[in-house]
Amino acid sequence: MTHILSILIFFPALAGVLGFVVDKRSAKAYGIAVASVEFVLSLWLWVGFDNVNAGMQFTEFSPIISQFGISYNLGVDGISLFIVIMATLITLLGIISLRDDTPNMKNMIISLLFLEMTMVGVFVALDAIIFYLFWELSLVPMLYIIGAWGGPTRVYAAVKFFLYTFAGSLIMLVGLLAMAYLYHLDNGVWTFNILDWYQLHLTTDQQFWLFLAFFAGFAIKVPMFPFHTWLPHAHGQAPTIGSVILAAVLLKMGTYGFVRFSLPILPDASVYFTPFMMVLSIIMVVFTAMVAFAQKDMKQVIAYSSVSHMGVIMLGVFAMNAEGLGGSVFLMLSHGIVSGALFMLVGVIYERTGTKIMSEFGGLAAVMPVYATVFGVMLMASVGLPLTIGFVGEFLVLLGFYKVSVIGTIIAGSTIIIGSVYMLALFKKSFFGPVTHKKNLSLKDLDGRELTALLPLVAIVVWLGIYPKPVLDPIDNSVKALLVQMEEHAELQTTKDAIIISKKEAE
Amino acid sequence: MEKFVYIALFAPFVGALFAGLFFARSPKTHLVGIVNSSLIAVAFVSAVTLALHVAEHGAVHVQMMTWIAVGDLNIPFGFLVDEVSVTMMLVVTLVSTIVHIYSTGYMNHDKGYNRFFSYLSAFVFSMMILVMSDNFAGLFIGWEGVGVCSWLLIGFWYHKEDKTFEENPSISPSWAANEAFIMNRIADLGMLVGIFLIYWNVGSLQYDVVFKALPHLADGLLVAIAMALFIGAMGKSAQFPLHTWLTDAMEGPTPVSALIHAATMVTAGVFLVIRANPLFSLDAVHGVSMFIASLGAFVAFYAASMALSARDIKRIVALSTLSQLGYMFAAAGLGAYWIALFHLAAHAFFKALLFLGAGNVMHAMDDELDIFKMGGMKKVMRGSYIYMGIASFALAGLPIMAGFYSKDAIIETAFNDGSFIIWGILVITAGMTAFYSFRQVFFTFHGEERYKALGFHPHDMYKYVLVAMAPLAVLAISFGWFMDNFHEFITKNLPDYEMSHETHHLAPYLGTIVIVLALIGICIAYIKYAGKGDKAWKRNEKKENSFIYKLVANQYYVPKFYDEFIVQPYTVASDKFWEMDKAIVDGTVDFIAKVIYVSGDVSRGMQNGNLSSYLNWMGVGALLLVLGAGISAFIG
Repeated sequence: MTHILSILIFFPALAGVLGFVVDKRSAKAYGIAVASVEFVLSLWLWVGFDNVNAGMQFTEFSPIISQFGISYNLGVDGISLFIVIMATLITLLGIISLRDDTPNMKNMIISLLFLEMTMVGVFVALDAIIFYLFWELSLVPMLYIIGAWGGPTRVYAAVKFFLYTFAGSLIMLVGLLAMAYLYHLDNGVWTFNILDWYQLHLTTDQQFWLFLAFFAGFAIKVPMFPFHTWLPHAHGQAPTIGSVILAAVLLKMGTYGFVRFSLPILPDASVYFTPFMMVLSIIMVVFTAMVAFAQKDMKQVIAYSSVSHMGVIMLGVFAMNAEGLGGSVFLMLSHGIVSGALFMLVGVIYERTGTKIMSEFGGLAAVMPVYATVFGVMLMASVGLPLTIGFVGEFLVLLGFYKVSVIGTIIAGSTIIIGSVYMLALFKKSFFGPVTHKKNLSLKDLDGRELTALLPLVAIVVWLGIYPKPVLDPIDNSVKALLVQMEEHAELQTTKDAIIISKKEAE
Repeated sequence: MEKFVYIALFAPFVGALFAGLFFARSPKTHLVGIVNSSLIAVAFVSAVTLALHVAEHGAVHVQMMTWIAVGDLNIPFGFLVDEVSVTMMLVVTLVSTIVHIYSTGYMNHDKGYNRFFSYLSAFVFSMMILVMSDNFAGLFIGWEGVGVCSWLLIGFWYHKEDKTFEENPSISPSWAANEAFIMNRIADLGMLVGIFLIYWNVGSLQYDVVFKALPHLADGLLVAIAMALFIGAMGKSAQFPLHTWLTDAMEGPTPVSALIHAATMVTAGVFLVIRANPLFSLDAVHGVSMFIASLGAFVAFYAASMALSARDIKRIVALSTLSQLGYMFAAAGLGAYWIALFHLAAHAFFKALLFLGAGNVMHAMDDELDIFKMGGMKKVMRGSYIYMGIASFALAGLPIMAGFYSKDAIIETAFNDGSFIIWGILVITAGMTAFYSFRQVFFTFHGEERYKALGFHPHDMYKYVLVAMAPLAVLAISFGWFMDNFHEFITKNLPDYEMSHETHHLAPYLGTIVIVLALIGICIAYIKYAGKGDKAWKRNEKKENSFIYKLVANQYYVPKFYDEFIVQPYTVASDKFWEMDKAIVDGTVDFIAKVIYVSGDVSRGMQNGNLSSYLNWMGVGALLLVLGAGISAFIG
């Protein structure tokens, strides 16, 4: 178990390299095999995970450039553990859902395996340079996936995705370098170890600028309003598998960045910027939900709804209490599962009809009842119905953020209304009413391949909706530890007051 | 006893899974109908057992497992069976059992027979969670669960197309389902806010903990909590201004209307107020309670006025439900919680009966809903005629019927409280209720046989279905006789409501006023609508075109108002936002990219391969550098 994180990172990459010599026809089977092993490994990680320990586990450390304190430093805690498992699961199901006649299947599989490496790497890295490496590397396979298998304007979309996020991450890199430099000024040694950075005392002024630098990288990735416009283009052009992974995992890198870097390293700035983040998040929630309602294209509805839900996650990150932050981490998972499934479902109908425009559908529930049922379950999870995975996180985030701002919570809480408006409108347009297009009468319902990819997600949606405890407990532990760390570390009394770890202790 | 709690709760769930997982795609089979009906009956038997136990030994409280635990928040799946919840359980399971049996006949020819039973049982399960939970979050699970089942069931015939109606821009089952869901969601947000307020000020969502902590909270806070929770109640119980979904929900199959939109789900809001009576009976929230009572009285009248001229047999019943919900809220708001609960139960029985009777009529008339096209059907549908007659007598509140006891008690309460305006409204509404109920009965079963000319061949429902409806008829007549027993049973848990001596003294006279008004209403209806031959009712086009008539027929233009001032502006705003998103937000990004691209394009001119031009540019560059250095030295 000592090197399990390294294995998790490099096994898919190695398998990807070997994939070049695999026979074309067996490429998909090879991909499924590798992704399955990887998924089982990540589950093994969970088995070996100590639920009581709130700190980093399975840590690995070996110096790379000791003069500059750059080291190969890995570890997981309750916050990152489940994101890693989700990433491997979504990759596996994504590969399963690939059509057998996908052009250049071999290249697709290799890209996905490389992408898997970078995704796992980002979430387990404890060294800022390693983090940054995987962060940027993740762009390359995704750029390739959009550019090679995308729609008509795929090059525009891919380049926009790449340049936009890359520009943001460069500013973030400056922030990371500045952190190391400030650490050097303070302690006389260089380090890029994130956990060491947690101990660094920064003035509020330094925190202010560093927060903005990190913000540039993370906010574009999330993507926060008004930096979100690359996402509809990317989703619009990306193949199904690209959208699934983009929505389910890659966006979480942004919110994870806020949790891992901004909050613990810059507690004062985080509290200082809370109103600003709140306003942006609320605009995200409401504005993009309304834009989603205006869409004619089913995939664009899901794309904008994705942004809207990311806004709820961002609110939770800045709730500064265990309920909100824990809920936000849980919501990252549930959003991954649900949006991943929804993009797969859009892919299903696109593969059959060659269109994503909702007016081309209508009455599908009668023709494809199983498809409609699975879609319905995911719809309910998306609108946050209790006993589905979507409710737990959304409820906790809103509950937690209520402590920060009542008005903000009520406005953001309108997500449960306008979220159901666009989702139900989508469902009505596509699935209800008479079958308006004759050609849709002969559509086939979900086949074995699609069911294999979707049913596990349905099971998770129900399981974690009814019994979220196995996932919530480790998250809760680590989130509390993070808040304690923030509070101890904060320079200002107002910051300490804003952070609520436990009401009972406070009383 | 724990065993029975779980049986009562999960038997309907097993039914839903049985029908949903194994039979959703197979052709119609009566096995599903029988198994699901039996499972609900099992739940009913368990509820009866529990009721007997509760009456003797007091409440049963079980905790199944933890649901959500983060930070200080700890929400268990806990179930509390006390006097209040067991009453609801009895009502829900009894009506559900009958509706299930009824549906085996009513849905007999429907393709989605199995699917229907899956949804219907799932609804019962959600409703049981709602009434049995021991905390507000658990209540919210059931609250949303019944919402989804209602969405599924209203939109059961999802394949139907949107049609344009006079009072509605376009309506179809799926449209009505979405409307109901979204409107309920608006109210749910209020409920969530109430839950947040309770959590951050009490630290728990368990009923017992919360109710114990209430007296220590600030007045303003209590008012806020009460208001937030009541907003939630307004959605589920379709109180003004969130009422329009209820009449549109009649697009669903009739058994659904009987069970969900008359007997059980719509009373959830009343249940919430009764459940949270320690909160609503505090002096600090007296204003909110008065508001609840006043709104209830207003809705009672408002809905009754619309029912006076409605032509759609189901909408008439739906509006009368709305009106009776108003009565319940009036009682609850005035602090007579047990009377509200009593009326809730009585209403569930006679209204379900009325709805199922209306369903029989629809079934006979090939889904025709317009009472103008019916008439004189008592000959061909004797059973349904008797049932609907009994239900209408109960609804009108005539002596010895259930509605007489429960509704009269509410009217008396209003008088006793000194709220004479509310009392007056409720008394007048009682007269109107009698009129519109019997207008419907006479239109359908008496008078000229108008349906004959239109080519209908009505026949009554299957015998066994009519037999299955009998318990409801018995209860519609006799439930009121048990008022004293119920009073003794329920006041162990709910605060008693004592009438003053004066009221007690005046009660017979007050009752007489109501009865006389009801009788007058019935007589007018009889004279106008029950005649044959010369005395037969004839359409009065002039009256139908009068302003008042049109106002009422269009539901006071409220749906139109919502469409024009909320739905359409929202749609337009959404489109505009999308334009903005593309033109401004994304436009800015593209503009920046373009500036960089163009500047690169322009500056490419420098790289022309000409050595002398390179030297020139170098000179310019050097000059700029020197200049910059000079300036910075000067400033620095």
